[in-house]
Amino acid sequence: MKMYLAPIIFFAFVCNSVSAAPTGRIFITNERGDSVSVINGSTLDVEATIDVGERPRGIGLSPDGNELYVAVSEENKIKVIDPVSLKILREFEAGSDPETFAVHPNGNIYISNEDDAKASVFDPKTGAQVAEINVGLEPEGVAISPDGKRVIVTSESTNMLHVIKASDNTIEKNILVGSRPRAATFTQSGDIAYATAEISGEVVKVDMNTGEILKRGSAGDSKSKPKDVVLSKDESVIYVAGGRANKVVVMDAKTLEIITGIPVGKRVWGLAISKNGEQVFSTDGVSGTVSVIDTRNNEVIKTVEVGEFPWGVVIND
Amino acid sequence: MLKNYIVIIKSSFIAILLASNIALAENVQVKFAYIGQKDHSALLGAQQGLSEANLQGQFLNQIYELDLISAEDANTHDFSNYIAVLTAVDTDSYTKLADTLPNIAVFNLSIKDDQLRSTCIKNTLHVIPSNAMETDAKNQWQKKKPDSTVNAQAWHPDFVKFAARDLNKRFKKNQKKLMDDNSWAGWAAVKMTSDAVARTKINDPAKMLNYLKTDLAFDGQKGSVMSFRETGQLRQPILLVENNKIVAEAPVRGIAKPPTLDSLGILSCEK
Repeated sequence: MKMYLAPIIFFAFVCNSVSAAPTGRIFITNERGDSVSVINGSTLDVEATIDVGERPRGIGLSPDGNELYVAVSEENKIKVIDPVSLKILREFEAGSDPETFAVHPNGNIYISNEDDAKASVFDPKTGAQVAEINVGLEPEGVAISPDGKRVIVTSESTNMLHVIKASDNTIEKNILVGSRPRAATFTQSGDIAYATAEISGEVVKVDMNTGEILKRGSAGDSKSKPKDVVLSKDESVIYVAGGRANKVVVMDAKTLEIITGIPVGKRVWGLAISKNGEQVFSTDGVSGTVSVIDTRNNEVIKTVEVGEFPWGVVIND
Repeated sequence: MLKNYIVIIKSSFIAILLASNIALAENVQVKFAYIGQKDHSALLGAQQGLSEANLQGQFLNQIYELDLISAEDANTHDFSNYIAVLTAVDTDSYTKLADTLPNIAVFNLSIKDDQLRSTCIKNTLHVIPSNAMETDAKNQWQKKKPDSTVNAQAWHPDFVKFAARDLNKRFKKNQKKLMDDNSWAGWAAVKMTSDAVARTKINDPAKMLNYLKTDLAFDGQKGSVMSFRETGQLRQPILLVENNKIVAEAPVRGIAKPPTLDSLGILSCEK
């Protein structure tokens, strides 16, 4: 009997450490506030603010949800935070001017280094740089396909989506899109990606296997400077942060036609969607707020005051 | 046995051919000419634009070059192999050049003269703002703040919005100088042309001139999409600077009529 118990206890222990229950919290980087706001997922109130250093921008979670990563641009570092205790656990050098990043299913961080025309890959456990990839000028958005095969890095001043093969971190394709591509997101299958182009004011839908642009759609009027983009759970619509249009634009994922615009705060940059698909959170830079959108009726159900210039958002769900 | 051997040789020969084909994938060469002083800040901008064009070109098999030609040698130089000509010269030399090279874009990076715009020579492209644009920009600001004495500029080394911070940073790093109006104009001329080459694969000067004049939608890192008027003037925001500090951008919000880039400068040609 005892002989069987030990491995069971051991197994339970391993499971526990691998995936702790998610905190349900929403984490926001405040670019000028030099902090991370922590929003309680049930009450939707700010429950804590963490000082993280100068100009925090990109934010993400480890695949198991046990570690929160924040790119602190002016310090050229990524800081690792415990999403439960909210303590900074450690930090590591992340190249010049780290901005946006995405976390690969294998745990590595792919990050754009805006000043260097480079994307770099870091192992956050050790802080070691795994790879460095030359891309276009002002690399910005980073997206990783759910199966981990492909990584997109957008270069704003070279107007490209650089498609990187994650197996050997080499560039597979360079896709010219509109002016100032900012962000991208993949479908679950990884076959399609959507990307925003800020100055062209458009969204493109790209076949990731051929590199062909399948569709282009305008994200609204001339004020619309689309930034972040997320896909609904059923992949029927995309949500696009409209920048100065002060709206989250909802577009048909198939036709790229605008379905509606949801008024939020001023200069909306970042977006995140909950795993159940029911809520979208937007960071409204100039207003210093986060808008919580109910995706069932596309209405803002709460506006949460956070720090100065909220930038990135991630949900620990 | 022998048959098999030949097959192996054949297939490896094909493999080598394929590999060399990939390695030698046709590089397209795109050349600019610059006419003006070698120490003019417009040239630094053009050189910055060139390095960025080549950074993009490496992904598209395009190689960009820039030939420097003195104003004296320009009369006898063969310009048939250039995609566009960049100039930082005086008004007379500029008009003459534009006249002798009718089927190629001749960029003006330094002359602010209004008359030059209103004559509308068809191959002249003025990247530097005109005097009238700067005056309109100042007037808009003074309607809002009557007591201020501002300067109107195309660019400022402290400009940070719209990723201007990034452009200023890399210009300073590579050119060891601060980016001024003429440098911005030089950078913009090369960048808009190389962006057009990347997108359209046009490598013919007459077609490029037509594209620039009719289809351009350029991100000049000043926040607005830029295009050319029929006068050949580039529509662009103007920075308003007081005591070397940027205080506003024109079109000034709430004042400019129309509230667009066309509230600045001359819009049409002399009839």
